[in-house]
Amino acid sequence: MENEISREALKLIGVEKQRKYVVTKKDIRRFAQAIGDPNPLYYDEVYAKTTRFESIVAPPLFCHSVAFEDVSPEQLPPDGSPVEADVPIPAKRMVGGGSVFENYIRFKPGDTIVVKAKIKDLYTKQGKSGLLYFIVHETCFYNQNNELAAKETATFIKRI
Amino acid sequence: MENCLHVEDSVAMGTKLGKFVKKPDLKQIFMFSAITWNRHAIHYSRERAISEGLPDVVVQRALIGNFLAQFLDQWIKDVGDVQRLEWKVVRSAIPGDTLTCTGVVKKEIIENNNKLIECDIEMVNQRAETIAKGVGTVRFYTR
Repeated sequence: MENEISREALKLIGVEKQRKYVVTKKDIRRFAQAIGDPNPLYYDEVYAKTTRFESIVAPPLFCHSVAFEDVSPEQLPPDGSPVEADVPIPAKRMVGGGSVFENYIRFKPGDTIVVKAKIKDLYTKQGKSGLLYFIVHETCFYNQNNELAAKETATFIKRI
Repeated sequence: MENCLHVEDSVAMGTKLGKFVKKPDLKQIFMFSAITWNRHAIHYSRERAISEGLPDVVVQRALIGNFLAQFLDQWIKDVGDVQRLEWKVVRSAIPGDTLTCTGVVKKEIIENNNKLIECDIEMVNQRAETIAKGVGTVRFYTR
């Protein structure tokens, strides 16, 4: 099927954005609470020292906490959807489609996360109720030693 | 969580991972939006979600992934780690749903002295409708 994405939108593919965060115990504890994981590895230092990590570590998909750029509300689309999927296409209604998350190194309190994110692909498919627009977004998460700790390729789906 | 695994276990193809149940409510969906700084209205405004053809506010793609990661993490406990998780959301999950994760071992791979196990995983709601499905890979640490 012919790709119905405008040239203006296609120009956004590969444009990388970068930002940096420092991980705290509070970030890890709150993330674990938000996903409903009571594992003491995420908040109990005494327990965590007895594990192979020898420290509090973050849950496997913790990098989701820094995956969306923290732009001001005025910079978001009217529906508040993430700017990562804000591309000039006629479709406006968005849902999360799927994801591939690779996890290599668990983050610990005090670590730095360097986020490098870009749109990897844009394409269309005919759905049951009309044309669907797919936005494939790749985010790499590096630690302070420039080691790739995690990588996510997320797919957002937009409908007119 | 049933069927917790040990590092010395041999894991045969077809082995079931047990069941893992999550019951997301509005509070959890709100908390996950807050912690991920996800300000998309379909996760907090019922009116907006319904106007977009959704049944209610919906559970985030990433929260569904975290439930699946938690499922795998509890299965392998302290002997390994979730290395890769691929999931596709095929139906909306909404507050009040009972989401049950299941999985089955697909294959075992030895890579750099580590044992990797690849599993087919699925999440269904209380009506046995598939919410998400995918593949999870766990990495066992050698002793």
